[in-house]
Amino acid sequence: MMRNTVTAAVLLGALCLLAVAGTAAAEETIGVVRTTSGDATVTRGKKTLPAAPGMKILVGDTLGTGADGSLGVILRDDSSLSIGPGSRLVLRSFQFSPSEEKFDLVARITRGTMAYLSGMIGKLAPEKARFETPTATIGIRGTRFAVKVGEPSSR
Amino acid sequence: MTRRSFVLPVAVLLLVAACATQPKPPPPASHDIIVLLPDDQGKTGAIVVSSAGVERRLDRPGETVTVESGSPPGLPTVIPGQEVRAIAGPALAALPKPPARFILYFKHDSVDLTPESRAILQNVLVTIRDRAPVDVSVVGHTDTVGKKEYNYALSLKRAKTVASILLGKGTDPSVLDITSHGKDNPLVPTGDQVPEPRNRRVEITVR
Repeated sequence: MMRNTVTAAVLLGALCLLAVAGTAAAEETIGVVRTTSGDATVTRGKKTLPAAPGMKILVGDTLGTGADGSLGVILRDDSSLSIGPGSRLVLRSFQFSPSEEKFDLVARITRGTMAYLSGMIGKLAPEKARFETPTATIGIRGTRFAVKVGEPSSR
Repeated sequence: MTRRSFVLPVAVLLLVAACATQPKPPPPASHDIIVLLPDDQGKTGAIVVSSAGVERRLDRPGETVTVESGSPPGLPTVIPGQEVRAIAGPALAALPKPPARFILYFKHDSVDLTPESRAILQNVLVTIRDRAPVDVSVVGHTDTVGKKEYNYALSLKRAKTVASILLGKGTDPSVLDITSHGKDNPLVPTGDQVPEPRNRRVEITVR
């Protein structure tokens, strides 16, 4: 019967949500939502959840906003990233482990507006950060200089 | 001879506006606008915008390029703050502030804060209140005088002392993360068994 099918679908949906939440706890958090306004969501796999301050962010998450929304997150390297209204951005990869010298940040914005303030990856390994837009790729550059250290006898 | 290459640490604040116009058919020729801004300290980093095999470097505050689909980046121009806000005002407003860091110092072999550090604690409390909701990490440290285990315990006591002052002033316990690094993470590198007041500290980070 129709009603039973609908109830079954809702129950399945709820179970799927629980499963996603469980998996999320086991995977590594790459950041946390700090600001939200209006229609703002985080899509993880097939699930889209309303964004709320304190919500953990994982690699692969898509941040999305409606016509009145905005959303800001802080990533584990203490950089911050935000999107304005009508936006869509995927956190394609993120690694921050200075003790293992692992650094990586790739975000792709497909529509709308974003802002990014770099953190430790921007300081320690700026070449590992990349932003992709529909038309261009953006990389971070520090100001480079070289030091030649002579042997004591050459002084 | 050794050559070392350094990257001067500098933050980058960048804005992107993707698919800026063209609502309907024919298929929109999208163009994106990329703006480089100074950070809160007024420092501007540098970014490189690449498209169609061409790289364009931006390193001045307010410097902006427009990129048309399939074309190299346009020539950079500096745009005024009003235009920046028109392009990406809401995204900028939603950008979380970087974490606030504080260092509090202690007297030798003690959990007593120096008088100056007591004053800094007031700033910490104001910051916690202004930025709520927050996560606060409180990490205790010692200098290298004494044994590892002793210093681990001392630095933990220092962290807990600071935490209890914060709690006493109304900070929610669930936002505090208290840890200690003993003598393993000096701010000022020294040899072992070297007294160094700058290492006898608690670092507080408010996110």
